[in-house]
Amino acid sequence: MISITGLHKSFGSATVLRGIDLEISQGEVVSVLGSSGSGKSTLIRCINGLEKIDGGRVTVDGFDVSKPRELADARKRSGTVFQLFNLYPHMTAVQNIALAPVEVLNVPRKDAEAEARRLLQQVGLSERADAYPAQLSGGQRQRVGICRALAMKPSYLLLDEVTSALDPEMTAEVLSILANIAKQGTTMVFVTHEIEFARSISTRIAFLDKGQMIADLPTEDFFSDKGMAMPRVAQFLSKMRKD
Amino acid sequence: MPTILSWLNVKRSGGGWGTTPLKNAAAVDTDLLILLSETGFTIEARRLQFDLSILAKHIPFLLEGTWLTFKVCLISVIGSLVLGLLVAAARTSSSTFLNRLSAVYVDMFRNIPFIVQLFFFYFGLPEIGIYIDALSTGIIALSIAGGAFTSDVIRSGILAIEPGVIEAAQVSGLKRATIFRRIALPIALRTSVRPLGSVFINLILTSSVLSTITLNELTGSAKIVASQTFRPFEVYFVLLVAYAALTWSVSIVIGALHRHLNRNQAEGVA
Ligand SMILES: Nc1ncnc2c1ncn2[C@@H]1O[C@H](COP(=O)(O)OP(=O)(O)OP(=O)(O)O)[C@@H](O)[C@H]1O
Ligand SMILES: [Mg+2]
Repeated sequence: MISITGLHKSFGSATVLRGIDLEISQGEVVSVLGSSGSGKSTLIRCINGLEKIDGGRVTVDGFDVSKPRELADARKRSGTVFQLFNLYPHMTAVQNIALAPVEVLNVPRKDAEAEARRLLQQVGLSERADAYPAQLSGGQRQRVGICRALAMKPSYLLLDEVTSALDPEMTAEVLSILANIAKQGTTMVFVTHEIEFARSISTRIAFLDKGQMIADLPTEDFFSDKGMAMPRVAQFLSKMRKD
Repeated sequence: MPTILSWLNVKRSGGGWGTTPLKNAAAVDTDLLILLSETGFTIEARRLQFDLSILAKHIPFLLEGTWLTFKVCLISVIGSLVLGLLVAAARTSSSTFLNRLSAVYVDMFRNIPFIVQLFFFYFGLPEIGIYIDALSTGIIALSIAGGAFTSDVIRSGILAIEPGVIEAAQVSGLKRATIFRRIALPIALRTSVRPLGSVFINLILTSSVLSTITLNELTGSAKIVASQTFRPFEVYFVLLVAYAALTWSVSIVIGALHRHLNRNQAEGVA
């Protein structure tokens, strides 16, 4: 379980997260929605320990991410997929995927690479297994990014706008892969602007507004009268649908 | 004109100002021509023979010097690379103490003329009882000075890495040292090949200063040959060509290495 209680985060004098409470259990797919600047990326970065938190508590399966000793264990349980892929440019797809299993989980290199190839095959990239990131298209790079996160067998997958750097065609190919992963029961925290997709794969929607979680509802409720009853949510949804 | 080269000399008529009459005028077969004289100056054109053959018997000695330069430079390049890597690691580490220490080292050795550093090591240290032979002093001094520049290049290479790439490594649970060794360093070295090449070429050029501490490397041996033959023109011409060839071949190797290491990267990088 990912458990967030009273999370505060500021950058200098700007408070970005103001007391977030959120619990994510195994098997859930939680989409985090909210307008630009509402703090979605910052929330993800507080869960994977990339930002120091200023108040409250974030634990992953009981491991407190603000304690250096426990961060490593917390990070072993979650995997992150980035908007701009962030692949290691000097390594092939297989090497990108196998690095952490070998170095962190001490999997023998041969096994880790075989597993990497299996993952790549699942996302339709067997042919490109030995290509370098610069030799791949954006959609292909993101599929490698997803495999890299999955290779650590994380309990939780954190995804921050993983399709917003992709054109519509590539977005579709990446989303269909994510839908598959969701179906297999992987827990996901999914920051996105793809409202319809969020609706189709999420069990729950968390809505951030100016650093506060103003809605945390089951998907059907969020997109029904219940959600629409909240002016900020209604405003956001109508704006997103217009775009 | 049958001669290969003309040599101009300016002389004020009546006074000895500005002339350096060739010491060995007889030996060099001068053919003096008064070209013109105006406002008290005489311009003489001496036609000299440019004759490399007189260097023939000194070739083994010059080759010895070349070999010494090669050896000193090779060891010093390796030395600066090792030192540069360690210092770059220290400068990008999370320890404030290591940060400061390495920054002081880099600033100090980049901001002092190499010849002063060298004299300090060779002539200064014996005063406090530390004696190091000329060869070791040369290698140590070159490595320390080169290490300062090398670490700076590697550090910039590390700082230029997309932060997201390092973050991806962090969230996957890799340890700091592993990230440095497997991610940061390989990426930084790939982008730093060319600037590192410039540092190493500079190191080769700087190695000529070692002749001032009795080391008969390429420049030192050339000086000796020049004073023995009284043919500074030919000797230093050969020296010039030798250094140019040395550094030119290094830059060829660097270019090839850069292309090889970046062969799988985006067009812009290669
Ligand atoms: N490193 C930082 N330093 C200073 N301010 C920051 C930093 N990171 C984020 N912010 C600020 O925090 C606020 C929230 O940023 P965040 O990236 O979390 O928003 P977001 O909801 O992900 O937005 P978007 O939908 O555009 O990605 C923004 O106002 C942003 O300017
Ligand atoms: Mg964001």
